[in-house]
Amino acid sequence: MSQTLSGTFIQKFMMIGLCSVLLLGLSGCATAKNDFRTQAQINDPLEPFNRGVFAFNNSLDRFLIEPVARIYNAMFPDFFRDGVQNFMRNLRAPLIVGNNVLQGDFKGAGVATARFAINTTAGIGGLIDVAAAQGLEYQPEDFGQTLAVWGLGDGFYLVLPVLGPTTLRDGTGAAIDAFADPVRLYAFNRDEDWIYYTRGLIEGIDNRAHIVRAVEDLRRNSLDYYATVRSAYAQKRRALIRDENPDKPPMATEQYSAYDYYDAGWE
Amino acid sequence: MQGLAATKRIFILAAVAFLAYAPMAAFAGDTYVGFVQKMGDQALTELTGENISAGERENRVRKLLNKNFDIKTIGQFVLGRHWRTATEKQRAEYLDLFEDMIVSTYAQRFDEYAGQQFKATGSNPASSKSKDYVVQSTVLQKDGPPVKVEWRVRNFGSTPKVIDVLIENVSMSVTQRADFDAVINSGGGKVEALLESLRKRQKPKKK
Repeated sequence: MSQTLSGTFIQKFMMIGLCSVLLLGLSGCATAKNDFRTQAQINDPLEPFNRGVFAFNNSLDRFLIEPVARIYNAMFPDFFRDGVQNFMRNLRAPLIVGNNVLQGDFKGAGVATARFAINTTAGIGGLIDVAAAQGLEYQPEDFGQTLAVWGLGDGFYLVLPVLGPTTLRDGTGAAIDAFADPVRLYAFNRDEDWIYYTRGLIEGIDNRAHIVRAVEDLRRNSLDYYATVRSAYAQKRRALIRDENPDKPPMATEQYSAYDYYDAGWE
Repeated sequence: MQGLAATKRIFILAAVAFLAYAPMAAFAGDTYVGFVQKMGDQALTELTGENISAGERENRVRKLLNKNFDIKTIGQFVLGRHWRTATEKQRAEYLDLFEDMIVSTYAQRFDEYAGQQFKATGSNPASSKSKDYVVQSTVLQKDGPPVKVEWRVRNFGSTPKVIDVLIENVSMSVTQRADFDAVINSGGGKVEALLESLRKRQKPKKK
């Protein structure tokens, strides 16, 4: 990894440019406002392919990832697992600040910056989330959300091997986040790539360990698990894009719009 | 004299306005928060005891469910556009099977809920267009982080009832709707396909 600084920058710009063109081309078919079916669901033209990858991921999860997550939960006490999560979240802070700025959310950028400063110092390198106790709550942001705030639609639903559900937009966003990630830049510049991959692995286990019960519920309660996860993913992303505030434009009240149509005798 | 009449008129106007407003106010936010808190407390005390048989737990879940949730509204929403194509007989069977499914799912779940705490924290109107309210709540688990749960409550006559539950921003109704829609679509667009899956799902439990 001996790229020059300017080389990385040019690459980055080219990649962003390429992705933007790709996305703009596809976002034309995206969302019609206030139509429940297009808002709460994601366009899924690759469904047969996605279902194949999903089945593979599901087996991998049942036989390897979920057992590891359960062992992790059983082996380590709450405070330890909280520490791991806090540390991982703190490492994401620079990306969150950057994406907030790109979204024009300067309040969010301020909160994320303050969190990073407080938790890195008073929170002992990010292990303790002292900022949350001061009302500075963690609010994840990524480049997929930024693109959505800029008005780009999902593109289409995509299930990636191992990495799981995403969309063309969110997957592209994740790639750009990874590219700009200070942890990756630090690790790769020092030829210590293992730092980056180890971080990814721990983050994955930590994330999976937190949703053991939720995933179990979804599996048990669904007749078509694939369709259930696709819907849950769509809803989670919508909530994140609006920063969990249902009144925030441009996605106002979409989650409930179905009930409102329903009132008007829509069905 | 005229001054007195005017005062009287204003008084009457105020009284009418108050009376008209009072029933509405009674069902605004705070009442819903109380309703949800009471329901949660009752569920935790009645359902998490260790010495309850599985059958008895199911009975209690069904009772609580029918008292606090409007199954017909939820079921109709979850079936979505397929509700229109379903016959009266299919609708009736679907609502029964749907209720059974919820009951068996949550009867199992409440087995593990012992030791949890439930706190309804506040409420807000669901949207500018709707008369529904959303009540926010937090479930504190024995192990693991607190879970954010929201309840969409609608007023039926003079009784508030839950019509949707959102766990960490994921609506159970919307998710189930996508699930059922997929089953019906892969079954050639027939509601019967869904009924068949639901019947199969319930059978092993009923024995």
